[in-house]
Amino acid sequence: MKQKTVEDFDLLGGRLVDPLSGINKVGDLHIRKGKIYHNLPKEGLSKKIHNIKGHVVLPGLLDLRAHNRVPGASKSESVESLTRAAAKGGFSSILVMPNTSPYSDSPATIRYIQDRIKQTSQIKVYLSGCLTLGSKGESIAPLGSLKDVGVVAVTDCPNSPANNEIFTNAIKYAKMFGLAVIDFPQDSYLSKNSDAHESPLSLKMGLAGNPRMSEEMAVQRATLIARHLGVPIHLSSLSSAGSVQLVKQAKEYGIPVTADVSAHHLLLTEGEISQYNTSAKTNPPLREEIDRKALIEGIKSGIIDACNSSHEPYSEHLKDVEFDLAPKGATGLETALLTFIEAVEEKDPFQLVVEKMSYKPHHILGLNQPSLRDGSEAEFVVIKRKENWTYNPEHGESLSRNSPMDNYRFTNKIIFTTSAGRIAFQSIDIKI
Amino acid sequence: MEARNFLESMIWQQKSLLSIEGLSSEEILFILDKAKSLKESKGNEEPIFHSLRGKRIINLFMEPSTRTRVAFEIAAKSLGADTISISGEASSLTKGETLKDTAMNVQALGADAIVLRHSSPGSPLFLSRIVDVPIINAGDGAHEHPSQALLDIYTLREKLGDLRDRKITILGDILFSRVARSNLWGLLKLGAKVTLAGPSTLVPREFEKLGARVTHDPSVALKDADAVMLLRIQHERQQASHFPSLAEYANVFGLDSKVLSAMKRNAIILHPGPLNRGVEIESEVADSGRAVILQQVANGIAVRMAILHLCITSEKSSHS
Repeated sequence: MKQKTVEDFDLLGGRLVDPLSGINKVGDLHIRKGKIYHNLPKEGLSKKIHNIKGHVVLPGLLDLRAHNRVPGASKSESVESLTRAAAKGGFSSILVMPNTSPYSDSPATIRYIQDRIKQTSQIKVYLSGCLTLGSKGESIAPLGSLKDVGVVAVTDCPNSPANNEIFTNAIKYAKMFGLAVIDFPQDSYLSKNSDAHESPLSLKMGLAGNPRMSEEMAVQRATLIARHLGVPIHLSSLSSAGSVQLVKQAKEYGIPVTADVSAHHLLLTEGEISQYNTSAKTNPPLREEIDRKALIEGIKSGIIDACNSSHEPYSEHLKDVEFDLAPKGATGLETALLTFIEAVEEKDPFQLVVEKMSYKPHHILGLNQPSLRDGSEAEFVVIKRKENWTYNPEHGESLSRNSPMDNYRFTNKIIFTTSAGRIAFQSIDIKI
Repeated sequence: MEARNFLESMIWQQKSLLSIEGLSSEEILFILDKAKSLKESKGNEEPIFHSLRGKRIINLFMEPSTRTRVAFEIAAKSLGADTISISGEASSLTKGETLKDTAMNVQALGADAIVLRHSSPGSPLFLSRIVDVPIINAGDGAHEHPSQALLDIYTLREKLGDLRDRKITILGDILFSRVARSNLWGLLKLGAKVTLAGPSTLVPREFEKLGARVTHDPSVALKDADAVMLLRIQHERQQASHFPSLAEYANVFGLDSKVLSAMKRNAIILHPGPLNRGVEIESEVADSGRAVILQQVANGIAVRMAILHLCITSEKSSHS
C-alpha cells in the first residue's frame, strides 16, 4: 500500500470489542508509531486526541470479495477509489477478485496490480488469481507462479469451471501451494443468461430466471470435491436457503468447507428489482424472504462463516440500460458492514461482526489476525452508534453508483478506519 | 382537446400504456368501450378522428413485427397523426447507439409519442423514465404485450359477451410469451378463469401463484374451454433445451380437427400470429369458422386507435 506517514493519536473512552484477545471493555487506545498501547505512554497524550465515548472499536475487517477493475476498467473503479471505498466502509483490508481485463492469471498482470496498489492504495490489498486460465474453465492457471508473486487465494469468481475434471485437478494442484481455494457456486448452464432469481416475480417480469438449484448443485459439487480431496474449499456468496442446508450437512460430516454471504443478501430480497432497478441486479441474484431468513440463521448459527461486500462496480452508462442488458453486480464496500449490522438485528451485534468480518475472513485466507491487544499494529474500525443517516452513493468514494442500498437509512456510522498502522479513513465527524 | 370528453378525463389518466398488470378492470373496459365506439362509427365525421392531428408518433420497432407495427400505423393515421417507423436494423442501434440515446434523439426530433417494440423486458418503463412523451408498449421481451391482449379480449368479448367465469385456455410456449402474460392479467381482472397449458418446460407451475391454472395435458386444458388461445412456438427465443422438435410439438400439442371435435361445440380459437401451420394449428382448423384470427387482426386497429387517443390526449400528456 501507499506509504503514508504514521501519525500518533489518542482515542479515549471507546468500547473495545475483540473477543479472541479477551477484550470487551471500555478503554483508551494510544497509537504511537502505528502501534496500539492501552496505557498512556510516559510522554503523555499526543496532539491529536479524540473522545470516542459510546463508540465501538473492532479489530480490522477483511472483505473476501471485492472486484478490482484494474487493469481493464479503471473508469468503473481505480485501485485508489476501490480502497478508499473500502476504508470508508470500515475495511482495513480486502481480497480482490481476478476478473480484471486481462484476467489476473499471470505474474505480469499480478505485478501490474501490485504496482498500482503500492502507489495508490489506502489499505492492505490481498490478491487472488484465476483458478483456470482466463477463468474459462478449460486449463489450469499457473498457480505456482501466481503464488510466487504473492497471490493468497485462487478462484474463478464470478464464474465456476463447468468441467469437473479441470475443476478437481485445479483444486488438487492449488493444494500443493497452500493457496486458499474460493468457489463461486453457480452451475454455468443453469445460470447462463439469467437476470433474476427464478420465481413468480421473474416469471411475471419476463426475466430469465436463475434457479436455486443452480447454486445448490454447485455447492454440492464443491463439498464432494472437498470431501474426496480433503482440500478446504471456501464457498463465496451463498444466496439460497438450500445451500445453507447443504453446507450445514457438509460441516456435520466434517468436510472442510467454509462459506460466506454478501451483506445485501442478508437485508434485501428480489422485490428490489420489481421496477427493473439494475442496481439491485446482483450476482448471485437477490432471492426470497425464506432465503434471506435462512442466510441470517446461517450466520447466527455458524454455518455461514463470513460476510462479504460482493463489491462489483460498474460505470453508470453500463448500468443505465435495459435490465437484461445490464451486467450483474452491485457495489457494497461502503455499506457492507452497516448493512450486516442492520440485517442481524441484534442488540449488541459487534461480537458477531468481528467473527464474520474479521476473524473468519483472516482465518479462511490463513492470515494473521488483527488485534486490539496492547502492542498490536493499529488496524481497527471505529463505529459511531445511534447515528441515523441516509446513504447516497453520489457522496461515496467508489467511482460507481450501482448500489442497492441507495437511499437506505442506516442507524450506525463508520467514523474511523486504520490499516497497517495508518489512518485510512476518518469521517469529518471526528476531529483529531 | 375538444375531442376528449369529461368521462375520458375522469376514468383514463394514464399517459403511457406500459402493461396490463398496471391497469384496473375499469380502465381495461374503458379502452375496450372506446374501441367499440370507434369500430362502430361510420365514416370519420366525428371529432375523435382528428384528435391526433398534427401529432407525430414514432414507431420504434427493435424487433421484427408485421401486424402490430402496421396496425399501430393505420390506427395513428386514422386519428390524423403522422407516423414514422424506425426498425432495429435500420437505426443507429446497429452502430452501437443505446436505446436511451435513440429515445432522447427521437424526442428531440419532435415525437409526441413513442410506440416501442423491444426484446428487453421492462424497456418501455425504462424509456418512460428518460423521455417525457407517452410510451406505448408494443411488446417488451417476455414481459407484456398490452395492445395484443386488449385486442384479444376485445375479440373474446365480441364472441362470448361478459367474460366473468368464462374458461379461457392459453396453449403453447407460455414461458417466453408476453402475449400470455398480458392476457393472463387482463382476463383475470375481468373475472375469467385462465388455464395455461403446454409442455412442462415451457409452462412453469409457478404461474399458479399468479392466479392461473396450469396443466400439461392438452385434453384437460381444452375440454371445458370456451376459447383457446394458441401461441406460437418461438424458435428465436428458445434453444433445443426446451423442446425436442416442432414435429413432436405438433404430435403432442397441435390443434387438429380431431382435438377440435372434442372441444365445446361453440368454443372459439384465437391466435396472435404469426401462425405456424402444421405445428400449433392444423391448416384446416386455422381456416375454419371456429377460428377468429383475422377478426383479431381487424379489431387490433380499433383497439390501438383507442389506446393512442386515450394516452396521447390524456391530461398528463398535454402538460408535458
